[in-house]
Amino acid sequence: MEEKAKLSVEAEQGDKATILIVTGRVDGSSVGILESAVQEQINAGNKTLVFDFQDLSYISSAGLRALLIAARLTQKEGGKALFCALADHIAEIFEISGFNEILDIRATRADALGAV
Amino acid sequence: MGKPPTQVLVVDDEEDLELLVRQKFRRRIRDGDLRFLFAHNGKEALEVLEEHPDVYLVLSDINMPVMDGLTLLSQLADGEQDIQAVIVSAYGDMKNIRTAMNRGAFDFLTKPIDFNDLEATIEKGLKHVQALQSALETRDRLVAVKQELDMARDVQMSLQPKEIPDSETHDIKAVILPAREVGGDLYDFFHIDESRIALVIADVSGKGVPAALFTTVTRALLRATSSKDYSTPAECLTRVNELLCESNPSCIFITLFFGVLDLRNGELHYSNAGHNPPRLLQADSQVEVVPKTRNIVLGIQPGHTYNNDQIQLRPGDTLFLYTDGITEAENFQDEEFTESRLDEKLAGLAGASAERVATEIVDAVQEFVGDAPQSDDITCVVARFRPDPS
Repeated sequence: MEEKAKLSVEAEQGDKATILIVTGRVDGSSVGILESAVQEQINAGNKTLVFDFQDLSYISSAGLRALLIAARLTQKEGGKALFCALADHIAEIFEISGFNEILDIRATRADALGAV
Repeated sequence: MGKPPTQVLVVDDEEDLELLVRQKFRRRIRDGDLRFLFAHNGKEALEVLEEHPDVYLVLSDINMPVMDGLTLLSQLADGEQDIQAVIVSAYGDMKNIRTAMNRGAFDFLTKPIDFNDLEATIEKGLKHVQALQSALETRDRLVAVKQELDMARDVQMSLQPKEIPDSETHDIKAVILPAREVGGDLYDFFHIDESRIALVIADVSGKGVPAALFTTVTRALLRATSSKDYSTPAECLTRVNELLCESNPSCIFITLFFGVLDLRNGELHYSNAGHNPPRLLQADSQVEVVPKTRNIVLGIQPGHTYNNDQIQLRPGDTLFLYTDGITEAENFQDEEFTESRLDEKLAGLAGASAERVATEIVDAVQEFVGDAPQSDDITCVVARFRPDPS
């Protein structure tokens, strides 16, 4: 099988938060990339994370679990995790699963940073 | 405690190789790091190996009485043990050396033997043997793990419910095509009482043994909570959620649809914990989405109160419960089966038996996917309601 780079996570340091730009598909085989990116930030002492999902094309239940863990980890460190710029079909996944009730979701990156 | 010494068998009819080895490696022999065994021809060598199955490296001369080194090599190659051999031959005896290499010798040394070369060659041989051993151990461990995983899947599959026999009022059919890895999906159906049947479909986050365990526990809890003091689906889910949340440090969660169909009047009471909304296939070929209830997945939010909802089935209507293994099944072009393909296919099956609906949908998914690998369980539960016309 061909190997596609289906997920990348890029970190941008802001004043009050670290922005993680998630591009591509988060599923069972790529979720490790997201998990280590989050862990790396936590280890570096960055406890407020804003996930920018503008270029997120798909997220599986394994991916949702990773987001939940990110939210718990940041909370434990006294920070928080926010999620923004969800495409319609991603927002629908959040809505069906009820994750929009338990994760802090904002319309835009500016909104998210404003809520930090 | 140190490891037992690594053992090397030296085979030569003359004394000089033995003396050389004893001299050259005396320190490591004394330290208990290496141990040498000696034989004077191929036959003796085989006897020593028989007695010491933990010898994996042999250093052998070619010209010997009774059984020569080349015959010994052939015998080693036919044996069950993976034994590496280093052949010693006269300088310039390229013909025998080539034969030895072709019979599977690992390396060769030429006489007169160079001390440093001897040490380096034995060292290399030992390293090779160790790498081989650890590869074999890893393989054995993998085989064992795989057997356990297969067993876990068998247990999980054996827990799927027995068929509910068709009756005048309803027929139910479930199909699950498990992906290679254990985990994933769950379905269930059982009688709450004489006139009500529970229908369950669920999908756990992640795969593997933890996911399979979580699925199995969820199924047991749901059966337990709905057999005793059953009130509403939402009430059951609220209780199951509470119990699952009690000990779930790894944040595994499960999406689950729980419906209870009343066979007397066609009412479906349900609560949907974050699962893909089922379809209602009406007798007139309309396909409706069973409205979502504002709930969240099970297992991560203690204290959450689940909501109920209700729809009405008319005679000839069919409920179709499924997991995303159906709608997200991918073909080689990375296209998904999608909900619209599902709905279109369902519309053509109005009034059909539950068995036919289940079979045809799964067939359609498989035809769409072709030979592309199946990454997720494909599961559906179909229930047709057809009350007594009297």
